[in-house]
Amino acid sequence: MRATVWAEPPGPGNRAQVGLSPPLAWGGPEREDATWPPSARHRARPSLRGVITAHSLTKRYGDTTAVDSLTFEVLPGVVTGFLGPNGSGKSTTMRMIMGLDVPDSGSALIGGRPYGDLAWPLREVGGLLDAKAFHPARSARNHLRWLALSNDIPLRRVDEVLDQVGLSSVAGRRAGKFSLGMSQRLGIAATLLGDPAVLLFDEPVNGLDPEGIRWVRHFLRGLAAEGRTVFVSSHLISEMSLTADRLVVIGRGRLIAETTVHDFVTRSGGGAVKLVTPDVAAFAAALRASGAAVRLGDDGALTVEGLAAPQVGDIAARDGLRVHELVPIVASLEDAFMALTQDEVEFRPSTVAGAAAAGEEE
Amino acid sequence: MSVAVHEVPRDRYRLRHAVASEVAKLLTLPSTAIILGVTVVAALLVTGLATHNAAYHGGLGFDATQMALTGMIAAGLTGGVFGALLITAEYSSGTIRATLAATPRRPLLLAAKIGVTAAATVVFCELLSLACFFLGEGILSGRGIPAASLASPGSLRAVLMTGVFIALLALMAFGLGLICRSTAGAIASFAGVVFVLPLVMHAIAEADVRYLPTNILTNSVMATADQGRGPFSPVSPTIGLLLMAGYAAVALAAGAVLFAKRDA
Repeated sequence: MRATVWAEPPGPGNRAQVGLSPPLAWGGPEREDATWPPSARHRARPSLRGVITAHSLTKRYGDTTAVDSLTFEVLPGVVTGFLGPNGSGKSTTMRMIMGLDVPDSGSALIGGRPYGDLAWPLREVGGLLDAKAFHPARSARNHLRWLALSNDIPLRRVDEVLDQVGLSSVAGRRAGKFSLGMSQRLGIAATLLGDPAVLLFDEPVNGLDPEGIRWVRHFLRGLAAEGRTVFVSSHLISEMSLTADRLVVIGRGRLIAETTVHDFVTRSGGGAVKLVTPDVAAFAAALRASGAAVRLGDDGALTVEGLAAPQVGDIAARDGLRVHELVPIVASLEDAFMALTQDEVEFRPSTVAGAAAAGEEE
Repeated sequence: MSVAVHEVPRDRYRLRHAVASEVAKLLTLPSTAIILGVTVVAALLVTGLATHNAAYHGGLGFDATQMALTGMIAAGLTGGVFGALLITAEYSSGTIRATLAATPRRPLLLAAKIGVTAAATVVFCELLSLACFFLGEGILSGRGIPAASLASPGSLRAVLMTGVFIALLALMAFGLGLICRSTAGAIASFAGVVFVLPLVMHAIAEADVRYLPTNILTNSVMATADQGRGPFSPVSPTIGLLLMAGYAAVALAAGAVLFAKRDA
């Protein structure tokens, strides 16, 4: 378990926005403040500007329902993580948002419009769904050039975004020779070409080395800090805990949670306190007397559940007990995710096993 | 970086943007130059060999225009590969998703793609057809054999129609590529229609072979002599070209219907 999810400021100048995230209901967002987020870029705009909305989004492949009545909202100004196990329908959902796949029912809208109705798609939405979505024989610069021409984007933007992602020196080389990390950077450059307010990334850190992952993380947070909508899918929970502010969590194509990272973690069984004290026996007795559950770990530390750190400290002061360490334990995003998706993943096998066991007993 | 770098125009993207984009794509693929280069070499080589051979054997009793245009049959094969690759390479590389993200209105995108493919192949094939004609006639007259000129009856018509015909073959292959979405499938089905179907048809319905692309090209479009109007005679050049346009249109229409509704 990690001591805290936000152990360090996750991105440049972005800490404040995390705190400003409105409290969200477990099943769906409830906007308290109509002007949220507090970004100048979007404050005076219509409320749907830059918002991705999925409503009862459903996609079936034969008998398999890849995406099942998915309803969620992705807001500007924050990084929204799209979390789910492999095969849970993340990519299918993103393809439907981008108009590449047609939903069987429901809708996916960007700023209230389907992708196909956007006036200048690349100036409004940047999507990286596939790191290798370019012809291997074409150079990076030429790949971006035809994209720019398709949406009447000034061609000087091509060199600007190549510079932004650090590919200027290899702009004339065949993109097919690029490493996966360079391909991802080219894909990201393509999303930035039209300076769009909405950005979608499907597994952008897949296959990247730690430095590349760090670069992408800071990049995504930087884009959100500028007031853009950043929707990024991943199956890497630890990465999402560092990158995302809000989460849309799905399992088997169904919505499991739509919330902030903070709420997701704290509502998923966190709240324990780690206590190191020389007065183990006396302290444990005092805590139990106050209604807490206390466990003694192998390392000699006590894990206290049912009381918060300030209350534990108050008890120490009241009874004159010594405290060497007192640390609130926040469940990791991974713990929270496992706790929530366990039912989704194990529902059928356990039901079958339970029925079989019940049958044997009779 | 947060400031918009340009004003977003009020209107929306149009056909000309899609066309500009497709032209840029076409011109920045090395395979474009390679295939067209191979086509030029193959066509001129076949024309050279055919006319040289005809001259060697005395050069009597053949259609000089038709003989000089023989190289365009080879161009039909590589032209088909060219047309198919223009769309299947997008699927095999994954570029199609970037293309559709940039230009999500699929009918407009397809119109741009077909328009650019048609314009490029018509211009290229007309020039190649003229080159074949002049090379072939040059070889024949060099051997003292009566050669044709563009002023000869039917020659200009044959040269121009042959160019258009090969472009239509390329468009048919593009349509097949749109249907198959794989290079192998598109080229196999193209070769099937152009080379295998005549053999099968010859066995089961010999009189109808004249309606097939290969036979229309050689016997109706490339030829200048009037070949009679019997039950096995070739169709007229105009009917032949219209038939080929129909085949290309059917392949493109079927591909377009699938393209419009299929997931990318």
